[in-house]
This record gives sequence, structure tokens and C-alpha cells, in this order.
Amino acid sequence: MTILEDPATGARADEAGGRPRVIGTSPLRKEDDRLLRGDGRFTDDVEPARVLYMAVARCPYPHARITHVDASAAAALAGVEHILTPADVRRDTEALTVLRPVPGAPTLPYYALAQDVATHEGQPVVSVVASSRHVAEDALELLDITYEPLPHVVDVLAALEPDAPVLHPSVLDSNLLAANSDGSGDPEARFAEADVVVEGRFRINRVTALPMETRGVVAEWRPGARELTVHCSSQVPHLIRKQLAETLRLDESEVRAVASDVGGGFGQKLGVFPEDVLACLHAIALRRPVKWSEDRAEHFRGSTHARESVHDYRIAADSTGRILAMTNVYATDIGGWNSPFGSAQLSSVVFNGPYKVDDGYTERRVTLTNKTPVGAYRGYGQPEVNFAYERLMDRLARRLDLDPVELRARNMVTAADLPWRNPTGAVYDSGDYERCLRMAAEAVDWAGHRARGRTPRPDGRLVGIGFASFVERTGYASARFLARRGSVFGAHESVTLRANRSGGIDAYTGVSTMGQSSETAFAQVVADVFGTGYEAVRVHAGDTASSPLNTGAFASRTMIAAAGALRAAAEELAAKTRRIAAWQLDAAADDVEIAGSVARVRADSTRAVPLARVYTAAITGQGLPPEEEPGLEATAHFEPSDAAYSFGTAAAQVAVDPETGEFEVERFVLVHDGGTVVNPTIVEGQVRGGLAQGFGAALSEELRYDADTGQLVNGSMVDYFVPTAADLPPVELLHTEVPSPVTPFGVRGVGEVGTIPPGAAVANAVCDALADHGVELTALPITPEAIWSALAGRPAAGEPALTPTPADLPDGGTEY
Amino acid sequence: MTGVENTSELLVETVTTVNGREVRASVPARLHVADFLRQHLGLTGTHVGCEQGACGMCTVIVDGEAVKSCLMLACQLDGRSVRTVEDLAEGDELNGLQQAFKEEHALQCGFCSPGFLMTATALAHQGGRPDRAEIREEIAGVLCRCTGYDTVVTAIERWFAEHPQAVTDPIATQG
Repeated sequence: MTILEDPATGARADEAGGRPRVIGTSPLRKEDDRLLRGDGRFTDDVEPARVLYMAVARCPYPHARITHVDASAAAALAGVEHILTPADVRRDTEALTVLRPVPGAPTLPYYALAQDVATHEGQPVVSVVASSRHVAEDALELLDITYEPLPHVVDVLAALEPDAPVLHPSVLDSNLLAANSDGSGDPEARFAEADVVVEGRFRINRVTALPMETRGVVAEWRPGARELTVHCSSQVPHLIRKQLAETLRLDESEVRAVASDVGGGFGQKLGVFPEDVLACLHAIALRRPVKWSEDRAEHFRGSTHARESVHDYRIAADSTGRILAMTNVYATDIGGWNSPFGSAQLSSVVFNGPYKVDDGYTERRVTLTNKTPVGAYRGYGQPEVNFAYERLMDRLARRLDLDPVELRARNMVTAADLPWRNPTGAVYDSGDYERCLRMAAEAVDWAGHRARGRTPRPDGRLVGIGFASFVERTGYASARFLARRGSVFGAHESVTLRANRSGGIDAYTGVSTMGQSSETAFAQVVADVFGTGYEAVRVHAGDTASSPLNTGAFASRTMIAAAGALRAAAEELAAKTRRIAAWQLDAAADDVEIAGSVARVRADSTRAVPLARVYTAAITGQGLPPEEEPGLEATAHFEPSDAAYSFGTAAAQVAVDPETGEFEVERFVLVHDGGTVVNPTIVEGQVRGGLAQGFGAALSEELRYDADTGQLVNGSMVDYFVPTAADLPPVELLHTEVPSPVTPFGVRGVGEVGTIPPGAAVANAVCDALADHGVELTALPITPEAIWSALAGRPAAGEPALTPTPADLPDGGTEY
Repeated sequence: MTGVENTSELLVETVTTVNGREVRASVPARLHVADFLRQHLGLTGTHVGCEQGACGMCTVIVDGEAVKSCLMLACQLDGRSVRTVEDLAEGDELNGLQQAFKEEHALQCGFCSPGFLMTATALAHQGGRPDRAEIREEIAGVLCRCTGYDTVVTAIERWFAEHPQAVTDPIATQG
């Protein structure tokens, strides 16, 4: 870290003023006491009086027509209170809506219960409410549902074949939901004149975010008040409110969504899922609270999956290694329906990574398959392409006999180039990409490794080092940009600050608390800008009834947008506080400063008034200067001018047994730049946590479907291997801190970076170790079996390439 | 409520000690301990993550040993003593282990924290002072999707270093 801290207090010296800064320090977190004492308020912890419990019957087939539903036996079971069938849902609701649509995609008729045909195993078909979850599940056993299984397809490329069964024939002629292309220049001409072309097909595994808290909902309806209160585990309570209102045909004013503590989101908990609608319908029908807590078997089939895609990548270069063109044509699996955040959209945005490419294009084919819908997951398309382009960079280096570090450095966008627009319209803001690369190479002793050569260790293992450089888009460019993409939310954040008579400041935000430490970081910004103590600020999060309308916690955007709103609101509140205090102190407002729990005359600190007294004057309207309005509250909205691009380089060192393919990641260095750091401890926690998920997706996690039955074969925590404390390699973190010019305080997003480079860095390290064996890994996850197969020279199955559709390409870049 | 009687909901009389207090309850035979603690006693600090004994969210201490409470039936608690995360804090003060978690940033969303805290508390009951590698193995039965575990290991290591008495402290190992 390049932050200068007072080792005694952790306080950071302020070059401009004199008071200690709070931004850039690591105070203990606001969130921790309640969570450590078992006093968090997660959705399943909410237990209203007279609550009833919901259970959901789900389609056991990957694709089936529902020909008959008879719920009479279930309804007769003691304790069963209410049952919803597909016809009820069709009558009483609208189809589920999408928040971040795929550009060009038609609307699919996705209802909370399958209408006529279910398109994936686990899709809800009937829901039952009873006196206990046990009884509700007993009732599911008594349902008589007749299915007519239909032909299914689970492979993303097979789904695009002309003979594939079509999932949504009423809307589409094929399983191609939409195709989007972006690009600039004349890449085909560059390929024709290139000295060398490297290309390959890269398969990215289907994984899932797997938050430790599953989804859940508690719905209460007061018909007389027309008030629907919905507790749910969500990253976006205000968007839940919007979606529930439109799906249930209510006014937004009739819906209150609350997400207090959320046990991990990672992109999965974005928007309304079928069960949210069902619980509300039951609650409305029964006039009693209804709760549904997703069990883990449901979670694996009914929440979203992520990442699965097949990328055909090409890089053209001249004989010195200078990149002339880069293209990516890819098919990305969206599963059976378009979930609220649907297909990851950043694979096209950062397809060239940190490398300067003027001629290039991407084409994305969003493909429907008979599998659980795909949604957003930390990284949102960026780990996928990083694996592909960084694998190809190493192959290019080997083809040209160049040092892969030098090849990367030669092609990186330089500080002098920035800001720079890539072929798909992304504007990289600022940074020093090569510095991170050099720091990683030095930290991992790349020079020493090159000098040592590939002599096996005494145990026969070969050592390899691999790199993965990346840029990461964090935040959104603007509401205008989002509107062009059809997204139904803004790029801004909003916050309300309100002084209280105890001398503190209450901050109200719609950003729910899901581990990202926003309560802590928000309080830091308020304390820093306003001048009061960190402990005097309390953040109230995730309740639409008390917070200003906002966007939510995703896309590594919370601090980027919220910091500006917090700063503006704190400045407004501070100005009024100083005016009132000045009047009370008989001084000029410009001569008054806020310091901790008092406002005081800057030149004479003995002339001070407690903030509690200033606030009380404002709140009561008693003791105010003439013409000053009562009240001490400020709401601010802030939209950053552009997205900020984080960047960095990871280096992995592995030891591989060339006989068995077994390997160990011995070192993993990540050099990362997240711009100005608000809280170093939190940032490091975010980066390490992202890395853990990145290692999981790279090395051990994969959701597998049986092609014959269409069933998810490892849909449980016993079969799906997320890393445990004993599994993760040692991680060394290094940071640079280049402020972003497009965000408040110069922050960049830090929440997703860790997911991006592990796959590419480890694969490149393995391929470096096994270079004499000609091993080239092209798929995730990287397992000993995969390496062993590559060593044995087993050819990949022959498949036709995804040829681009030239008429669409390039279209000049429409700015994802 | 009327209708066909549900014979699955048999009740069992159970007497157990929970966080030092005797609890008499009539529990459904198929109710697991985690649901009993959460739904019948309101001790919602014990979380449920998978109900297969794989994720460790629901770890509590039963008669001094860490137990995944989704794999044990409430009626099996009869005559036994249970300790949950709600019992760790000393009044309004976090205990040494909780404080170490807080200072080391060993939690983010906090959903898994009770599982780690109870696992580490039971680990202290075994005696000895595990090194980092041993701590990693010992806590591998509790999953975390947020932290990457390093800070969890550090917090537990630090607690063992700073509170050697925790190993023999009757409060820390009660039950």
C-alpha cells in the first residue's frame, strides 16, 4: 500500500487541512458486532406472528409439457392453507420482468409458475402454503402433476444447431435469444497481412455464486392499508419493489421491500425470482404473512448459474509481437429463461483486456438451453475472456519465441494513451498497466525462473509461472449509456443524511448490507467530509420505506456512485450546521469548523458548541438564525461521469507432476489498482474474497448436466466443490493507487477483481511448466484429469468453429 | 384447520440445556436441532446453509463438541447441553474470539461467522495450540464465500495466542 498511516492511531494525515482523515483508514466495521453475536437480521430470521410457510413443487424434467395439475389431495391435508397453480398465476400476475435485458432480445413469457411448458429442471410448477414447512412439503408429495417430457438440449453449441429442440417456439424460431456485435477498424484486413495468427476455442465452465445464505422471502399484506411488506435477501431492494409492483399489478407506493442483512449476493441476488412473486400472492390471498426459505437443493436448481460460454478467439500479430487485431465470437448460455440480469455483458466490453487493439470485434450469441437460468455473478463476463485472451498471449509468445512478460508489456495501453477507447467502445480512464505487470514479475522472480530453465525437481515435478493481466470495468458509464442498452435502472446512487438530537448523523441508503462493508465505508465518507466522528454516523440500509430511491449494490459500483452522493449530502449538511453554529457562537460561518462532537471557531477552539445542541436547534426550529429553515437533512443523488477501469496483473507459480497431471499452486501474487482506497482492510478483504471465488471457478467448481437426461448431476454442496480453508493457495497482494479521474475521490470498484485472473494465471503456469510436452489448456476448470488428458495428447472433440456473421460486423461499437 | 390428519407430525418430549438454561419442549420428531434453535427458541444466530452437513453454517456445541445441528434431531438433545453463538459475548462485550474476528476483518457478510466461532470454541476445548495449517484443516468444515479464509485463520490463531486460558476456561468450554 502506498497509503501513509500513523502507526499509533491508524489516522491518515491530511495534506490540505489539519484534521485527521477518515478516508484511507481502516476503522473497525460497523456491521460486525451484531453479526458476531448472532444478532444479524437475515431474511429467514424474520418471523412475524401467524406466519405460514411455503414450499414449491418443481419440474423434475429439463423440458416438459405440463398436461394436468390436480391439487385436491394436497389441499385436503391438515395444515395446508393455500395452493397456487399455473392458472392462478397467469390470472393474477404479469410475466416476470428483466432489469438488464440482452439488447435485441424479445420478451419471454416467464411466469412465476410454469405455463404449459417448463424449460429446466427445478422450474416452479405449483406452490403450497401450510402451517409448517414440513407440512407444506408433505403436501407437495400429494400433488398430482402429469408431465409430458419433451426433447431437450443442454449443450450450448448443440442448442444452436438447426435440429435442436426450440425452447420458446412462440417467440423464437431457434434458441438464439439475440446476437450482439461490436467492433471497429478492419480486423479481417489485419489478419490477412499478419505475420502470425493464434486462435483457439475456450470453454468456460458453468458455476454458481453459492452465497452461504440462500434466497428467501417473507411477505405480509394488509388489504385495508393496501400495503405489501416484503423482506427478501436482495442486493437491490428498490428494484425488487419496482418489479413486484409491476408483476403483481400494484402501485409502487403499495410495496415496501426490506433487505437488511444479506448473507452474500455476488450478483446472484439481483431482482425478483418466481418464489418472491408466489409468496406475495399467497400472502395477499390469505391475509397472513407467508415465508419461503430456499433450501440448498432448490438453490442449485432454482437460483441462477453463471459463466458458461464457448469463445472462439483470434489474435493477429506482426513478427515483433505487436498485436494487429483481436476478435472474439462466442456463444453464452442463458439457460431456460432470461433472468433479471441475464447473460453477462462484459465479455464484449473488455475482450482485449489491457492491450492496445485498434482493429477488433466481438460477436455474442446468447443461447437458450434446458438448464437453470444464468444470471449475474461477480466478474460478469470478465473472467471468461481473461482466460481466453491471456492463454492466447502465452501461445503467441511461444510462437514468436518472446518473453511473455515482454510481449504483454509491448502491447499494453500506456499511461500516455489514456483515456483510450477500445474497439467495443469502452473508455479506459487512467492507470499504469505495465507497472503492475513488472511488479508481479519481480515479486514472483520471473527472471530467476527463466534463468533456471525447466529442470525437474527431485520429486519429478516441473515448475511453471504464468501471468494474467487484466482491466476490469467497475461502475456504469451513465444513465444515458444504460438507456441505450435497455437497462431499467440508473447509474447513480442516492443517500439521505439526517442529524439527530443525540448529536449523531443517520445515513439512509437503499444499498443493502451483504458483506461489502458499505455501512462502514459510507460512515467513513460522511465522517471525513462532514468532520464529525466515525462513531457518530449510523447507516440504515436496505429499506425502501426509509431510503431514497437508488440503484443498488452490484457492478462494483456502490462506492463509485455513493461516494459522490455522500459527499454532496455531507457538504450540504455541514454548511447548514456551520451557519447555525456560527449564529449560536456569534461568529461568521466561514470561521466555524466541525471537529468531532462540536462546532467551533477555527481560530479559537474554546468558542465551541456541541453538535447535539446545533442539531436540536435545527430539529426544533428553536434557536435558529433568521431566515434559516428548520430541519437538518440532506438528500443527494450522484451519477459518476464514466465507468472506472481497475487493472492489474496476477502471477501464479505451480509445480506439476508430468506423469499424473497433479499440480499445486505454490504462489499466487496479485498486483492490483483499485484507485483511491477508502478503507485498506476492506479492500484487501474484497480482493482476497474474490480470489477465493476465482480459484473455485478455475480449479474445482463445475455444474455438470447429463446430456441424456438433462439432469444436474452435482447439485448439492456435497458434490459441488467450493474451496475450503484447507484448499486455497497462499496469496500475496500488492497494490498501486492511481486515482481515477472519473469518480469521486478517485475510487475504482474493487469487489469483483479477484474473480478475473486465477484461471488464466494458473493455466499459463501449468502450460509453462509443461511447455516441453506441448500442453495447451483451453477449458476451465483446470483439474489434474484435464492436464493428464492434455499430456496424453487426447484430441478435443472436433466441432465447427463459430464463424462470425460478417453482415453484422463491425457495427462501430455501441458501448456496452 | 381441518382435513386429512398428517401423521408425520409426531411430538417428542425433550429436556435439554441451552446456553446454560434448562429447556423443556415438545418437539416434532423430524425437527432438526438448527430449526429447533431458530424456530422454537428464537436463537437465530445459528444459520442453516445446506441441511446436508456440508457447509457448517449451523455448527453449535453439544456436550463440548462441535456439531452440525442440521444433522441432529431435536429430540436427540434430550439430556444434553447445547451452546450457541448467542452465548459467547460477555454481557455487551464481545469475547476474545469475537473481538479477534472483528479486528482481523474475519467476516464480511457474517452469515458463516457463527459456524467458525463455535468450531473454534470447540477446538479450544480439545486443548493444545494449533498452528495455521492445523487451523485450516480444523475449520475446513465451515464454508465461507466472502473472505478467502486467511483472516479467519489469523483471528483464530491470534485468539489462541492471546487467550491461552480459553482452553481451560469453564465458560469458554461449558457444555
